[in-house]
Amino acid sequence: MKQIGIFAAAIICLVDLSSCETPSFAPPPVTAELARTGARQHVEIATLREGRVLFVSRCIECHTLPAVSSHSAQEWPRLIDEMAGRANLKPTEREAVLAYILAVRTQ
Amino acid sequence: MKKFLSLWILTLAFSAPISFGGVRHFTFLYEAPTSARGSAELENWVTWKRTTDPARFDQVDFRHEIEYGVTDRFQVSVYLADWFYEADSEHSGFAYSDSAIELIYNLTNPVDDPVGLSIYGELRAGDRLVELESKLIAQKNFGPLILAYNATLEAVWEGNDLIEREGEFSQALGASYEISPPISVGVELLHEFVFPEWRDKEKIRNFFVGPNVSYRSGNWFVTVTALAQATDTEGEPDFQARTIFGIGL
Repeated sequence: MKQIGIFAAAIICLVDLSSCETPSFAPPPVTAELARTGARQHVEIATLREGRVLFVSRCIECHTLPAVSSHSAQEWPRLIDEMAGRANLKPTEREAVLAYILAVRTQ
Repeated sequence: MKKFLSLWILTLAFSAPISFGGVRHFTFLYEAPTSARGSAELENWVTWKRTTDPARFDQVDFRHEIEYGVTDRFQVSVYLADWFYEADSEHSGFAYSDSAIELIYNLTNPVDDPVGLSIYGELRAGDRLVELESKLIAQKNFGPLILAYNATLEAVWEGNDLIEREGEFSQALGASYEISPPISVGVELLHEFVFPEWRDKEKIRNFFVGPNVSYRSGNWFVTVTALAQATDTEGEPDFQARTIFGIGL
């Protein structure tokens, strides 16, 4: 009974944590404004969307998702090159992830 | 055949490019994300269990598993072999236990969606053992913090002619915090309800709790968890430690 209590308390904390005013850890969605930023860099909105989906799904297979602002625009290409093999990203997918990150950083 | 398989695994392990099935932050819990399409990984598990009640008994379980991402949401794993070493005051030795196939389908993402969910199914067969296991895996990522919950239902048939039956429901909760890109530390809780012959007469409840640490580098990772029993169930381990070493193929 005591153990069920511990589990229940832990799950309540978990639900509480997800419902309170914590900052969003999800990377920014692809909005019209981000699409305009992408267009200035000759990147289509579909590529930005694909880049975001890959960023959110592939990177978390090994580590938690870094904030886009945690690295400079100069650092990101090298980082993504290092990770692309491990994340099984094809060259076009690698480009899409980089395009999304750079568009967010530029915004 | 064995030689060919070993050669194939070694060739894959050291040939480029290397893709990775994913890092485990926990060893007694599964996480919601599945392996990327086309990626493969070899995992080796070692679990040491020490039981002292009613008599001192040590068992070390080994598992060799290959994981493969069929699609971005669907992962298949094959347990090539589960085997163990056991030692008590009268005898000791190694024995093969079973092999298994495991399927995981990812439903939602733990970063984007309110809760990341996956469903899991496993069929295990071995020497006088058949086991079916299903699991609901829930996970939420809060920046560097990962929270995971698993609810598991197991049905086991074992012994001569598989006449001994047992059911088990277990739930596990884990937290893992990434203190730097290669290192995470956390805690795991495991709560088991065991039903011999699918009855609850004996009211067997086991509760384990303990810390974990995970380290990753290049195309490999290692995660270790040590759990102590907080209940006092006879025949269940007082202490168990599990290590999973994974390498991308």
